[in-house]
This record gives sequence, C-alpha cells and structure tokens, in this order.
Amino acid sequence: MRKLFAFVFLSFALLVTPAFAHHSFAMFDHTRSVTLKGTVAKFQWTNPHAYIELDVAAADGKVSHFTIECTSINMLQRSGWRSTSIKAGDKVSAVVAPLLDGQPGGLLLEVTMPDGKVLDPGVPGAQGYKRSDK
Amino acid sequence: MKNSLQLAGVLAVVLLVQVAVRVGAQQGDRVPDITGSWERLGFGARLTDAQRQFLPPAGGGQPPLKPEPRKEWQARVQAAREADAKGQPLATNATACLPEGMPAMMGATFPIEILQSKGQVTIIEEAYTQVRRILLDRPQKALADVEPGFYGSSVGRWEGDTLVVNTIGVKESVRFQNAPHSPDMKITERMHLVAPDILWNEITIDDPATLEKPWTVTYAYRRNPAYTLLEYVCEDNREYADDQGRQKIRIPAPQK
Repeated sequence: MRKLFAFVFLSFALLVTPAFAHHSFAMFDHTRSVTLKGTVAKFQWTNPHAYIELDVAAADGKVSHFTIECTSINMLQRSGWRSTSIKAGDKVSAVVAPLLDGQPGGLLLEVTMPDGKVLDPGVPGAQGYKRSDK
Repeated sequence: MKNSLQLAGVLAVVLLVQVAVRVGAQQGDRVPDITGSWERLGFGARLTDAQRQFLPPAGGGQPPLKPEPRKEWQARVQAAREADAKGQPLATNATACLPEGMPAMMGATFPIEILQSKGQVTIIEEAYTQVRRILLDRPQKALADVEPGFYGSSVGRWEGDTLVVNTIGVKESVRFQNAPHSPDMKITERMHLVAPDILWNEITIDDPATLEKPWTVTYAYRRNPAYTLLEYVCEDNREYADDQGRQKIRIPAPQK
C-alpha cells in the first residue's frame, strides 16, 4: 500500500513538475549532490533563472569554474532573496544537484554565506533531491 | 389645472426614470469585487484547515480525449516521462520562454492579478507577464475574424454573481496538460467568489473534434492583498532545444 502511495505521489509529482518551473529539472542529478566551496565571480539576477558563477580552487590551486542555476528571481524574492543577497567576491559553499551531461554546472539546492547564513533558493520539490552532504 | 396635472405627470415620469437609472447603476456597481492579487489555493504553500474547505472538488483527471488524439497525447506524455528518466528532458514551449497561454495560465503557477475596469476584466499572470483581456457585454467575434494566439479572444458577462467568459481562437501549439486541440476549441470559464477572498474558476473546454465530452477543470484562488505582482522578463534564457528536440543548457566557457 505504501508503495502504491509512493507510486501515485511520484506520478503526480512527475506530472505537475513542469508546471512549477520554466523547464523540466530532469537534466540535473536527483540522486546525489556536490558541495562547491569557492568565490563568487558573478551573481546574475535575471529570469528565467538567476545564476551564480563560481570559481572553485582545488588543493593544487587550479581554479575551475562552475555555473549554478537558481530558481527564477520571482521565486527567489518570494523566498526572501534580494539582488544583493550574493555579491562577486563572496566566499560561499553551495550544495548543487550536478548536471547529468557532465558540464560544469548544476542546480542550487542551498548556499551558505560567509557569515554562516544559509539561503534556500526554494527549488520546487526540493525534497526529491538526494543530498550527499546529509 | 390641467397643465399642472400634466406637469406633475411629467415630473413623476422623470423622477421614476431617474430612480430606475440610479437603481440600475447601483446594480451595475454591485458586480462582485474580484480585483486584486490571487494565488492558487493549495499550490506551493501548505493549506490551512480553513482554506481546505474551499478546495474545489477534485475533477478532471485525464483529458477525455477521443481515441486518435488520446494516442498522440499518451505518446507525448510517455516520451516526456522516458526522456526525463534518462535525464534528457524534451524541450517544451517553456524551454523557449514562451507563455503558457489559455487555459494553462489560469493554473496560476505564479500569482495572478485581476483588474476590473469599465467594460473589461484584465488578468495578468506573473510568469512570462501573460496578459489576457476579457471584454464585457459584447458578442464574441466569428472564429474566422480571430487570429490564432496564445490567449485567444475573450468576451464575458456577469450572470448574477458569476463572471462567465467565452474564449476562442487559441493556437493549436498552445497546449493544456499536453492535450491536443482543434482550432475550434471553445473555453467557458465561470468565475465566482465562494467566500469574500476565495475565487473559483470552473473552466470547461469544448472541442468535439478531439474530446469525447466537455472537459472541466476547476481552480481555486486565494486573494492576497499584501502581494504586488513582480515583473518577469526572460532576459537570459540559457536553456534551448537541440536538433533532437531535447532541452539543453548553455554553460559559458571557462573564463581565462
């Protein structure tokens, strides 16, 4: 019975998901997350999505660049975000659902600011993403 | 004497007409106030018990499509599901930042605003800044005189406390719940307040070319006077459809 409920819920979730957002989020890995610690190169406040461009330094000093997609700025604002919530130069820790196609990017699930404050981007169906950090 | 009687009679008629006009005007003014920002009830935010009683009866389910369009619909839904499972979602109108159109925009993914002005009700959906204009108390155009569009041509009238809206001329590429429709699709909406700040919109789609019977979906909205709609402009859409019709994201090249 529980399985049936889970199936019905999942079917419903799959059916309604596209309506929540401007596109399907199936291109992101829902089975694991990665935590990226780096310096914000740019916080782009645009629709249909906002983006955090993040430079992540490896132990050997080599810097890789990641593009992190956020929800729409409308959803971010309704979650309390402002265009000034993140600034270039901020050192942040971002938990993202990585892109499945291997490109250096992902969907923002949570970001921890330099002062320790955690910002929730309000991803639709956020509970459907498996967090590797938890 | 005769003259004064005539004068009195004329005065009485004038007074009666004035009273009638005033009463008529008052009745005209008395259409329900549905102006304001509205959020779909039970969409996103958790419902309170007080709100739960205003949820419309669950209805609709699958669109009552005829066998041929049903096959197309099932194939499309199945293809989308399989593509999602592979992590290669199919591109949709939304991928290209195209508006949802009618009647999908009434699903209020983002909040909607209803504005009542003389002879018109205007509905704005925050996502994609979708706007539809419902012209009141006038006949619907002939379908041949309406160019196909995302929102179609809408006319409406108040029947008592219910705003009844007729819409025709929605483009075939504009789909509601993935269901195909013909150019002859007619949408009838019946909007009425079930509580001072709860609005129901009973949407019935008539399209004998594709539907076995009329298809009705009802949405409930909660008025939120504290909310002002935000702007929504697709300023930098990095999602696109590749040549296989799959949705892709453009990641900028690493900065040197």
